[in-house]
Order: sequence, then C-alpha cells, then structure tokens
Amino acid sequence: MAKVEIASLSKRYGENFVVKDLSIEIPQGEFLVLLGPSGCGKTTTLRMIAGFVEPSSGQITLGGRDVTTLPPWKRNTGLVFQSYALFPHLTVDENVAFGLEMRKLPAAERRENVAEALRLVRLEGFGERLPRQLSGGQQQRVALARALAFRPDVLLLDEPLSNLDAKLREEVRVEIRELQQKLGLTTVMVTHDQDEALSMADRLVVMSQGEVRQIGTQRDLYERPADRFVAGFVGRSNFLAGQCEGDGAFISAGGLRMACTAGVRGKGTLALRPEAVSVGPEAAHLDNSFEGVVEYISYLGSVLDVRVRLAPQDRIIVQIANRSGEVLPKMGDTLKVGWPATSGRVFAEES
Amino acid sequence: MASTRNLKRVAGKLGFAVSIFVLVSPAILVFLWMLSLSLKNDADNTAFPPIFIPNPPTLDNFRDVFAKNNFLLYLWNSILVTGGAVAVGLLVGVPAGYGIARAKSAKFAFLILIARITPALSYLIPLFLVFQLIGLNGTITALLVTHLVITVPIIVWVMIGYFENVPMELEDAALVDGASPWQGFRHIALPLARPGIIVGAILAFIFSWNNFIFSVVLGGKTTRTLPSAIYNVLTFEQISWGPLAAAALLVTLPVLLLTVVAQRQIVAGLSAGGLKDG
Ligand SMILES: Nc1ncnc2c1ncn2[C@@H]1O[C@H](COP(=O)(O)OP(=O)(O)O)[C@@H](O)[C@H]1O
Ligand SMILES: [Mg+2]
Repeated sequence: MAKVEIASLSKRYGENFVVKDLSIEIPQGEFLVLLGPSGCGKTTTLRMIAGFVEPSSGQITLGGRDVTTLPPWKRNTGLVFQSYALFPHLTVDENVAFGLEMRKLPAAERRENVAEALRLVRLEGFGERLPRQLSGGQQQRVALARALAFRPDVLLLDEPLSNLDAKLREEVRVEIRELQQKLGLTTVMVTHDQDEALSMADRLVVMSQGEVRQIGTQRDLYERPADRFVAGFVGRSNFLAGQCEGDGAFISAGGLRMACTAGVRGKGTLALRPEAVSVGPEAAHLDNSFEGVVEYISYLGSVLDVRVRLAPQDRIIVQIANRSGEVLPKMGDTLKVGWPATSGRVFAEES
Repeated sequence: MASTRNLKRVAGKLGFAVSIFVLVSPAILVFLWMLSLSLKNDADNTAFPPIFIPNPPTLDNFRDVFAKNNFLLYLWNSILVTGGAVAVGLLVGVPAGYGIARAKSAKFAFLILIARITPALSYLIPLFLVFQLIGLNGTITALLVTHLVITVPIIVWVMIGYFENVPMELEDAALVDGASPWQGFRHIALPLARPGIIVGAILAFIFSWNNFIFSVVLGGKTTRTLPSAIYNVLTFEQISWGPLAAAALLVTLPVLLLTVVAQRQIVAGLSAGGLKDG
C-alpha cells in the first residue's frame, strides 16, 4: 500500500471540463471518498487513477512513482467495478488468481494468495463455483478479493454497493471498512450516497460539476460547509433567502431579522440544520427565537420532521426527537422555535 | 364468440402450415428426387413415366462414384480449399472482428458489409489476372486464397456481433489486474466469444464448400473442388443420372449433417450476420 498524490488533475472533453483542477494527497492507509451527485466526474477521476482515462493535465503519483502516463496494467491498482465485472467463464479461484497469473507468480504462492484473499472476504470453500452461482453480495466480495489478491498500491471502489439491497449494503459497508482498516489499505471510493460516504470515509471530497467543493472530514463538512452546495449535500439544511447585513445579521425574505455567523454583505442564503432548531419554552432563550405555525408533520419514528411557517415566505423544517411521554405538536399549532446564532450559516449568492 | 375465435386460430395455423409447405416443398422434393435417383438403377432412372420409389434400392451408383470419377481426389481438394480458407479466415477474421468491435469502427464494419454483399463473381476477374501474372492459376493455393473472399467477411461479420456483446468492463477488469491488451483478448474476450467462432466457422465452411464458380474458372483438371467436378461430369460425359445424383448427395452430405447438428448456431449466426449466398 502506498500514498497517492494527485496534483492539478483535469479532464476535458472538448471545451467541457469533467474534472477540474483536483489536487489531493492521500496518505497511506486513508479511506478517501469522492462524493457528489451523478455526473459530477467521480468515475472519471477514479478511471484516471486506474489509468483508463488519460488526464488532460495534472499528475498522479502512487507511492512516489509517477504513473500519469502508465497504462492500467502497469499501475498496480485494484479496482472494484460497480457491476463487479467478474469473468463469467472463470471460477472464483481463477478470477481471484487472474492478477497473480498476469504477474507470473509461481503456482504455489498463487494458491496461497488466492486462499488468503478469499478468507479475508469470508468466501472459503467457494473457489470452485462460477460467478453466476453466487449471490450479489458474494459476487461483490469476489470482486473485492480479486482486487486485493495481488496487493495493489491503492484500492479503488466505484459505487461498489449500489447493486446490493439496502439491508445488505449496510453490512457490507462495515465489512469493507473493517477490512480496509485491518489491512491498512489506501482506498479511494466513489459514491453519490451521502450515508455511505459519511459512514465509511476517513476524509471526503465533495464534488459538483467536475469541481471540488470541499475536502475534509465528516465533521468539517457538516459543521463548516464551505458553500451552499455542501451544506445541502452533506446532511440536510433549511435554506432561507434574504439579505446579509455583513455583521452577523440576516434579514429574511419574510422580513425576519436573524442572528447568524458573519458573512459577506449582500444577497445571500441562510443555511440552518433541521436538528439545530429547538422547540418549546427553551427556544425563547436562544439568539434567534420565533413563533410559527405548524404546517406539516412527517412522523419518521425516532424523529419527527415538522414544517413551521415563520413568515409567509419563510418556512423551515424542524427535526424533533420523538421521546416517549412528550406532547407532540399537531398541525395548525403555534410553535416556539429557536436556534443559536452559530447554527445559522450565511452564504453569498452563488454566481 | 369463443367458436369464431377458435376457428380463427385454426385457420391461422393452417395458413402458416400451408405457406411453410409451399416455401419448403421445392427444396424437399428436389432433395427426395435426388435421393431416389441415387438409389435406382439406370433403367429405372430413365423410365417414363418416372418411378419414384427405388425397387429394389441399389448402392451401385455410390460404388460407381468412388470407382470411376476420381471422387476422392476432388474430395481432398475441397477439404484442402475449404479447410484452409476457414482456418486462415479464422486467423485473420477473429482478430479483425475484435478490432472493429472494440474501436466501434462503423467505417470498417461497413466495409465488411460491402464485402459480404458484393457478388463473389466480381472478385473473380481481378483474381484471375493476378494469379495468371504470378503463375498460380490452376493451383489449390489459388483456390484457397480466392475462398478467403467468402470466409473472411462472414467470420469478421459474425465476430463483430459476438465481441460487441462482451462487456468492455470485463476487459478493463483484466487490464487493471495487470493483463496487457493482448492478454485481455486472449484470456477474456476470446473465450467469451467462442460460440461466435464456432458459428462463424460453420457458416464460412458451408458457403465455401458450396462455392462452385471459383473452382470452375480457376481450378485445373486435378485441382477442382467437388461441386465443379460434378458439374464437369454433367457437361462432358454422357449423363448418367444415378452416379451424378449419388455424387451430388455425397457433396452435400457434410453441409447437410452440419446443418442438422448445428441448427441453432447457424440460425443465430445468420440472424446476427445477415444472409447471403457466396
Ligand atoms: N468519453 C466521454 N466523452 C464525453 N463526455 C464524457 C465522457 N465520459 C464521461 N463524460 C461526461 O463526464 C461527466 C462525468 O461523468 P462521470 O465521471 O461518469 O460522473 P459520475 O461518476 O460522477 O456520475 C458526465 O457528464 C459525462 O457525460
Ligand atoms: Mg459514476
């Protein structure tokens, strides 16, 4: 396993930038996730690291080795495809052994490595089967074993869980993460699934339309989103349109004056996490305190999403915990809501 | 209500059966007549009104074929020409089909299509002139080369279809695992397209085996293939229907057997590759 360095990596098709000026250092053993909506250039980035897509500019280094111009078969990266791409005419053993055979490993050593890789993904005893004789989850693990068997410098995962059903997906997340930590694998995973990204990553890169919006840990992204896009993509946010006064005050479209973090003066947006809003008597003591009418309630089990109208133009979703014995708000109720100034983050209008 | 619907269905089935019969019966009848001829003695074969059922059936005609007409030599020629043309066709056509499929080259695919459509006859004159120039006329080699005009386009065309069905991701997976493009082809694409190789080889064999015009023009007295050798029997000697039919049956036998054994593959190949008789 090795450190991965990516310097000003760009990919352009014609005039259209699919990946724009991506720079990041991935230390050995880090689990990095590229997160962004579909079409934002995640797969292209991954395929540039694997060597399938030639960068328009920039440099990729694996463990100090400049691989920018090397073809895929000389890079020593392990890649798990979204579709798994198992060789249908080869048994599980042969699939996993493929990379080792290409590296001309002696047969005895090869068998050992294959057995070891299959043991890691808990598929001992499945070696003789063909891929079509396995369930989706097992196929996914074979793909993982195949990518790990030849000890790649970096493990690349392209939406590896998107073909699994929801319940299995959560199990496999944990499995992959544990395996990655145990083996100290430098890993780059691509996903558009926020939960998946947050639950697995050491660090995340949030991308949109080929551009990096923010690089950081879950906490960085959640507590200090760099822009409106990140605030909306990582976790949920209420967005209120309005005017930023510059000195920590915000006038909403509905004319409400709100205390918030300092921002640039002018037209802007206030982002507020639904779970940062308090309700009831305690709301009165907070920096911002308003009264609103409950318009809609979604009962989600452990929590309730309550839509509150503060002013005709200003509506926010408030998430409240569903504790037993507490009186829950009803539609049409008047509800006191409040939040501290630091919870309201203002972003200048995006050009 | 129900009875009219039933009636309609029966009528539909009947119509289908009748049209199948109309389409197929000429071929079947000719074949049966040939079979009948080959099993009758000479007197019955020229009798009028014609006799259909051989009584008693005789194998004399078949013995005659092997005894008199150098049949084994021509059979060997046909095997050399068709076998060689199919083998070389595979050697050239399979990689070519792979290249065209992977490059998604509509241009080259179209070129192959044109080669498939062009009547084989139109290759004949240029080839004849070239062979004359280099002194190859009348040799087995010349015939083999000419038959490549038949086998290569068929094989390439069939292989394009099969290689296009091998997902690109599988080869990408091979490359990232350390396989060179050649190894990816050899270990992944080729084995997965094997049904296509079989189909292409069968079709190429049939069209090449049946071809007759190349051998008529380019074949020498001892280097003819079977179909044209039989044609020569027909033209120059007094027509003896019995041995002629027996010989014709023997010539069609390999193709016939192949068609029966590999029906499914042939239908798959024809519908993938479009049908044209060389
Ligand atoms: N070969 C190509 N030519 C032109 N545009 C491409 C090509 N490959 C990808 N794109 C475009 O690049 C963008 C990013 O694609 P991709 O990296 O697959 O996104 P993601 O994986 O984030 O969904 C898409 O808009 C896609 O249409
Ligand atoms: Mg993608």
